[in-house]
Amino acid sequence: MSYSMEDNQNSAPGSVPATKLGGARKGTEPGLNASKRLQTELMQLMTSPAPGISAFPSADGNLLAWRATIEGPDDTPYAGLTFKLSFEFPSNYPYAPPTVLFRTPIYHPNVDFSGRICLDILKDKWTAAYNIQTVLLSLQSLLGEPNNASPLNGEAAELWDKDPALFKIKVMDRHKDIEEDE
Amino acid sequence: MPPLNAPEEGVPAAGLASWQQDNSSTSYASYAPNMLSELPELGPLPETPTSSPPAPGPLLSPPASFMRTTRPRRFSNISISSVAATVGSETQSACVGSTRDLTGRSPVLLINYQELQYESEVDKSLECPICRTPFHAPITTKPCGHTFCSECLLRAHQLRPVCPIDRRPLDVERDFCKARVIHDQLDRLRVKCPSQGCGHVCARELLAVHYERYCEYTPVLCPDNSCDLWIARQDAAPDKGCLHKYTPCQYCSKQVMKAGLEEHYDRECSGNTVKCAQCDSSVVQHRMENHVANDCPSTVVLCKWNKYGCGKSAPRHDVQAHEKKPCIYQAIGRLAQDREDDRLIISELKVRLSAAEGRLRVAEQEKTERRERKRRQAGNTNNTMPPFVPDLNLSNSPRAAASYNNGTLDSPEDYMLAQFERMETQMEDLRKNIHELDGLHSMRLLNDTMRLNEQIAELGSKVGVIGMHTTWLMNVQRQSRGQQRAGGVVGSPLSSLASSSGGPGTTNSATGSVTNAARNAPDNEGGRYYNSSLPLRRNSDGRGENPPRL
Ligand SMILES: [Zn+2]
Ligand SMILES: [Zn+2]
Ligand SMILES: [Zn+2]
Ligand SMILES: [Zn+2]
Ligand SMILES: [Zn+2]
Ligand SMILES: [Zn+2]
Ligand SMILES: [Zn+2]
Repeated sequence: MSYSMEDNQNSAPGSVPATKLGGARKGTEPGLNASKRLQTELMQLMTSPAPGISAFPSADGNLLAWRATIEGPDDTPYAGLTFKLSFEFPSNYPYAPPTVLFRTPIYHPNVDFSGRICLDILKDKWTAAYNIQTVLLSLQSLLGEPNNASPLNGEAAELWDKDPALFKIKVMDRHKDIEEDE
Repeated sequence: MPPLNAPEEGVPAAGLASWQQDNSSTSYASYAPNMLSELPELGPLPETPTSSPPAPGPLLSPPASFMRTTRPRRFSNISISSVAATVGSETQSACVGSTRDLTGRSPVLLINYQELQYESEVDKSLECPICRTPFHAPITTKPCGHTFCSECLLRAHQLRPVCPIDRRPLDVERDFCKARVIHDQLDRLRVKCPSQGCGHVCARELLAVHYERYCEYTPVLCPDNSCDLWIARQDAAPDKGCLHKYTPCQYCSKQVMKAGLEEHYDRECSGNTVKCAQCDSSVVQHRMENHVANDCPSTVVLCKWNKYGCGKSAPRHDVQAHEKKPCIYQAIGRLAQDREDDRLIISELKVRLSAAEGRLRVAEQEKTERRERKRRQAGNTNNTMPPFVPDLNLSNSPRAAASYNNGTLDSPEDYMLAQFERMETQMEDLRKNIHELDGLHSMRLLNDTMRLNEQIAELGSKVGVIGMHTTWLMNVQRQSRGQQRAGGVVGSPLSSLASSSGGPGTTNSATGSVTNAARNAPDNEGGRYYNSSLPLRRNSDGRGENPPRL
């Protein structure tokens, strides 16, 4: 089928990226495609930011590590609080999910004390169409709607239903703004 | 074959219907032989060898561009079904003229469509949700209708066989099909040639042709057979030999590969900058010409639509602002550019068609020769062969050839015959497509031209009106001057009004102007008509009777 067919042929999957020659330093990095995609995401986050979330690559110029913040949604125990997170991207991102950790201590049923998060889309439910923004929005909604069926923090899961007032106190106790460099 | 023009109003319905039908009948399977066979090479992590040529000294890290690269293997497992598809690209490789085509390696570095730089604005709806760049070879999922680049989707699918948007389970064989509707928009996106040093911008559809055949900067295999590196095509002349040996730079005496000299000047060379006389920035000496021609903000340049009528000429940064405003000639310029692209695409198709026809002719010749030989053989042996011969003669359709192929005679010739039949039908397809395209194209041209003609006529009449206004105003002025000179001798108010429409004798005496007034009465009436914006024709009528003098 002539035209379009050839088009596909010439650039069939598995082809060596033409810009290996052009893109000087990036050329031999394994995370070439990941960097490219992360650059695009950075552009989009800067040109059309979503309210309550922000994300930037870490200062050392490594595109595979990002810092992000989310604001606690109103009408939740986290209202008015800001949480810092770290993103580590694998070199085959977006085909594999980033590793996301809470850097700000948080009292939440699905987050443990070292900041690890139990969220399906960061594990087996990840798909290549997710991006930083959708992950941050999902995390934001997780703050308001924890998955109490599979908690990492059992006490928090119990208190969420039984004693919202105490839960709120625990949240405020736990929330300490620590600096980046731990 | 997708239509090269967006379906518009006024497009012949027949053309539309035929490709839509075509669309539905082409399943994912037509993609499959190539994509699937090459996919395993992709792997979750592309193996990028980091081994570099042994560096002669601690200072020397060779430019990344000349790293060894795994070359894509092509034509390696040609099956009957994929031969048809490779026919086109084989000619292209032949044009490149590398000596190593037959080793199964592609002689040019392939284009990575995700890395392309787009010059035109890209609609969000044309972006792949996985790689976030404009789709390349898009495929759509049948059950949920989501579209991705085929490469992106297949790679994601390898890891998890579900739709990346809604996690619906998908089956490669059944659930994917080519997304053809958006092909046209994608083909028209203007992209920069990915070759380093080449600034060529063209419609994406034409990029492969430029890159593989014409671009002087396309990375090709080093002409030295023992060398495994890439080099720009313009430097790849066999008499130049391998340019990947190290020589000292003439400015900073650092060891550099010859092929990497330009890059060295651009990126790291220290002893080599000069100040631009116009904009005061410092530029690598080798790039000065290029800087003045393409970058310098102070160079006086023309608006990029100057070909289409814009006369703006100013320092580059002013012109860039002017183009962004945008320039009023942009609309017409875009139109003309589209037309240009169409023309190029059509001529490209014609070239391919005639090449295919040439091949077909050769093939047919061989076919008849072989038939002759067979007949003679059959006559010589005088044995049990004859039943097959009539079969062969009737085999005008691919099906006949195929069944023949499946039959008892399993020689290479029969295989070739089947191939020829296939090629014939392909040619027929191609010819039909070109006709369709021609129709579409002339239809569009007609529509656009009509609109333009109307606009031009309207502009013309407006210019006429303005001309009349000017004449009238000038005459008023001349007449008042005439009155002053005549020492205040004034005719009746009627005469002053009348002569205002261009009487010749305003410098004469009062009697002259009175007679003029009488003569000019009808003309004056005409003048009023012009004010109510009558088309030009009227204008010339008036002038015929009494030409106004400016
Ligand atoms: Zn894609
Ligand atoms: Zn879907
Ligand atoms: Zn080029
Ligand atoms: Zn070489
Ligand atoms: Zn130097
Ligand atoms: Zn300059
Ligand atoms: Zn202009």
